[in-house]
This record gives sequence, C-alpha cells and structure tokens, in this order.
Amino acid sequence: MTYVVLEACIKCKYMDCVEVCPVDCFYAGENMLVIHPEECIDCGVCEPECPVDAIVPDSDPRSTPEWVKLNDEYARIWPNITLKGTPPSDADAWDGAEGKLVQFSPNPHRE
Amino acid sequence: MSQTEPLRPRAGPGAHVGVTEPMIREVVHAFYARVRADPTLGPIFEREIDGEWDAHLVKLCDFWSSVLLMTGRFKGTPMVVHTRLPEIGGGHFMRWLALFRQTAEELCPPPAAALFVARSHMIAQSLQLGVAVSRGEVPEFSP
Repeated sequence: MTYVVLEACIKCKYMDCVEVCPVDCFYAGENMLVIHPEECIDCGVCEPECPVDAIVPDSDPRSTPEWVKLNDEYARIWPNITLKGTPPSDADAWDGAEGKLVQFSPNPHRE
Repeated sequence: MSQTEPLRPRAGPGAHVGVTEPMIREVVHAFYARVRADPTLGPIFEREIDGEWDAHLVKLCDFWSSVLLMTGRFKGTPMVVHTRLPEIGGGHFMRWLALFRQTAEELCPPPAAALFVARSHMIAQSLQLGVAVSRGEVPEFSP
C-alpha cells in the first residue's frame, strides 16, 4: 500500500506535496517527483494537495504497474526532497497536457 | 523559495469534520493511557518509549495534526521505526486499532471519529505491510 505519482506531475512538479508529507517520502527528478513505496504510510495527506491531481493510492486503477514501477525505481535513485522549491517556469502550460511520458527525465533534481 | 518560508495555511481533512488541536491532544493522551495499561501493547511501548512518554505524546500529537490538519509539524520515519520491532504482528496492529477506535469514538463527534479511524486503518495497513516486506514475509514491492 502506497501512494503513487503519475504522469500528470511530469513538467509540472509543483512540489506542494513535499511540504505536507509527514514522513518525507518524496524523491525528486529533474521534472517530476516520485513516492518511495516502502516509506509512504498511506496517510493520504498529499493526494488533495497536488494541484494537478497527479497523486493516487496504488489501489486506484490509474496507478498502473508502469507507474508503480517508475516510482519504486526512481525513489531509490533520486534525492529525497522535503522543501518545496521553485516549480518549472512553464509548469502551468503543461498542466493537463496529454502524453507527457515522452517528456520524462530520468535525471535527478537540480537546484 | 527558502527554508524559512512558512508553510502556507491549509485546512486539512479534519477541519471539515470538526477536528481541532485540543481534540487531537485529548485523543492521543487518552489513547496512549490505554495502550500503557494494555497487557499486549503496554510492555512493547514501555520498552521502546523508555521513559520518554512526554516527548512521545508531543510527537504523536504532531503526527495526527499533520495527518488531519495538514500542519506539517511532524517529520519522521515511522516505517523504519516499526520495521525494527522484532515481535510485532497482525494481532498487535488489530489491538492498537481497536483501542484507537474505541478512544476516538468516545471522545469525538461521529464524523471526526470516523476520520481518525479511517486514517488509522490506512496507516496501520501500510505499516503492517512494510513490516512484513522487511522480514521477507511477502515479496518486495514489484508489480
């Protein structure tokens, strides 16, 4: 049981979730965040915080194996993030865009 | 974007059903009084808390404040803490949840109690699964 960050986060990366997460289980890539499945305690606090509805419980049908795997994989590689940084300047333009997976960057977060 | 920027005010799910900081404090304190008196849970908590009950109660008030009122006061790693406990299993989680439900239902109006109970179940299920995974009792998270 864990929450999962989905495609909607890619290139939006607003980071409101990291401020409210009580267990600091978010990890940051260059243009998206993921949740560490073994650190998330399913408290549900982050889900309504996401302005682009990118976070769902793994029981949600939108949480496909592809996204569960991506969160699990990159949470072990990317740096932990606990403070909200500056979202991408074009974040609003990517809000709601379809097919963002091709934009996904495997690179870690950089300030 | 600095570390000193205050958390923007948020209502949190509890605000919609009447959860307040004093209510959280009352539930947490009453609940852990029951835990300490419980023959199953009491000895484990006494060993782990090791006399630091005041700090533990403050921490747990912060935890529930973060979960229900989104205050961001708690920062910790409860999964790690629970996976280190050698003896805990399903029976302990069930007992914990039963005492917590009893306490919340006695002290809170029904909608607030329901929220406490719902979140406690989600979190307990997650911790229980994490403990099992850490012991190799269930396959590691891999879809």
